[in-house]
Amino acid sequence: MKIMRIAGVSVNTIFKHKMRAFLIILAIVVGIATLTVVVALTQGMNKQIMKQIQNFGPDAIVLHSGGGKIRGPSTASEANLTKKDISDIENIDGVKLVTSFQVALDAPIKYGNKFTTSWVWGVEPNWKDAWRRGASKGEFITDSDNEQLSKVCVIGQSAAKELFGDANPIGENILIENVSFQVVGILEKRGLSPVGTDFDNLILIPFTTASRRLMNQPMYISTARVIVRNPSQVEAVAGQIKEVLRENHRLAATEEDDFRLSTPGQVSEMVKSASKTLKLFLWLVAVISPLVGGIVLMNIMLMAVSERKREIGLRRAMGAKKKHIIFQFLAESIMLTFSGGVIGVGTGIVIAFLIKLSGKPISVTWQSFAIAFIFSTLIGLFFGIYPAKKAAALDPATALSQK
Amino acid sequence: MIEFNDITKFFISGTVRTDVLKGVTFKVNKGEFAAIMAPSGTGKTTLLNVLGCLMKASSGSYLFEDQDIETLNDDQLSEIRNKKIGFVFQTFNLLERTSALDNVLLPLVYADVYPADAVKKAGRLIESVGLKERINYKPSELSGGQQQRVAIARALISDPAVILADEPTGNLDANSAKEIMEIFKTLHKEGRTILVVTHDINIARSAERIIYLKDGKVEKEEVLR
Repeated sequence: MKIMRIAGVSVNTIFKHKMRAFLIILAIVVGIATLTVVVALTQGMNKQIMKQIQNFGPDAIVLHSGGGKIRGPSTASEANLTKKDISDIENIDGVKLVTSFQVALDAPIKYGNKFTTSWVWGVEPNWKDAWRRGASKGEFITDSDNEQLSKVCVIGQSAAKELFGDANPIGENILIENVSFQVVGILEKRGLSPVGTDFDNLILIPFTTASRRLMNQPMYISTARVIVRNPSQVEAVAGQIKEVLRENHRLAATEEDDFRLSTPGQVSEMVKSASKTLKLFLWLVAVISPLVGGIVLMNIMLMAVSERKREIGLRRAMGAKKKHIIFQFLAESIMLTFSGGVIGVGTGIVIAFLIKLSGKPISVTWQSFAIAFIFSTLIGLFFGIYPAKKAAALDPATALSQK
Repeated sequence: MIEFNDITKFFISGTVRTDVLKGVTFKVNKGEFAAIMAPSGTGKTTLLNVLGCLMKASSGSYLFEDQDIETLNDDQLSEIRNKKIGFVFQTFNLLERTSALDNVLLPLVYADVYPADAVKKAGRLIESVGLKERINYKPSELSGGQQQRVAIARALISDPAVILADEPTGNLDANSAKEIMEIFKTLHKEGRTILVVTHDINIARSAERIIYLKDGKVEKEEVLR
């Protein structure tokens, strides 16, 4: 086939000009490797975000006291949710369970001469169902703990490490806000929350103990976590909760909510918008660097065209049509960029794995390959077409007479 | 075969018009060995470009095997060059770093029909110009005379209607020049049409007929045999 014979000419030319081919391929390798790494990084970030959202729970709604925009969790001092609110929410169709808790941020914790601060949560036993997280060692908070206002606690692993090092904390007594609590269990490890706070630097105590002995909030509840039966109904249930609470709190239509609802959708929006700028920057780098490779290609190919005028003239004299010349040069460009793409993806994957070894979230998927191959071919086409057209537009008689 | 009727060609550079061909008329018959004797400055290069379908005339008619060249588009001209014309250049114009065999095969890259025995045929042609042992040599490994023989083999690969040679011995020593002209004579005896354009009267004298070009016009014709 004629097209294969001309492609063969392109292949031969590449092998006859090894330095030129090397430079073009190098430029494309750099660009495509960058692109591959960035795709892997962004996908790693997305995966991490998905994991964090999974941590939040796809079936969970968190209800905070106090209105306004999303900030941290509401503390006991601003609590305004009532027991009636909670039981009304429990009665909403589709709600599986509701667990109330009181939160104190950065409470001072002491053990012997060790000192730290930690989040302290007053919780009910069903907290572990709502968060799917119980004691990895020892006991969790029980109903009788809550009835008796026991001074017991379940300690998160970061807090435990801070106070006890590698020693076993169970049975020891710690001071929370100068009140002595006995450690009865260690909480399962969870990692970072969707907004990046350490979910293992917390201490759980019975809800009643927190409300009455520690946080001085016997009337109201600061926060609750609602689990719905079907994750697809999360937003609908959230809407109903909102109606119930506005009615219970007797809010007029013009008044703003005096509570906040966090749904998985909101959380993922929040996390996504937080990583948006970084992603944009990464994509900019990813797109620009192959383009630079493309410009290098175009430069070198333009030089090649002017060096090879005589050859082009000869080919035209021997019967090559304009389209044959275009095809020859374009095929050369695309073969070079595609090779650069293949090597670039390989290099990118090696770099991605090196980054992964250092603990960064990175994920190499088939999309990296697809994007890199398509992109490198497009670069060959886009930046190769101008030199190719220039070659074909040469007047054969003039080109042939070039010295 | 080739019929030039009152062909003119001018170039415009800025506001200056240069008339190079001023009404050239001549014929070359099938099977003839003709020479165009054109001293430099008489429009030799332009005449060759028009003859070789590398350039169109400004006016007049050029019939090539009864086909009006002036009405053809770029692609059609390419096809004429590919199928009907075998070029032999003064500077050989072989592809560097490319073997003699691949150089000879070059026109077939662009041919619609690629003969099944193309490589065999190229080998035969290279053998016929006496370079059998050097079929895989690159131009830089061949002497001038040998390079021109490769070029002649290349001109023959697509069995063209005419071999158009531009000063084919201009870059060769006397011995090689003689050998090249012998090859042309042999090809002529085999029935091929050959048109040599030269400024060297000794070369022109190898032909059967000489067309003298002077100042963009045919001055006279001389039949030698």
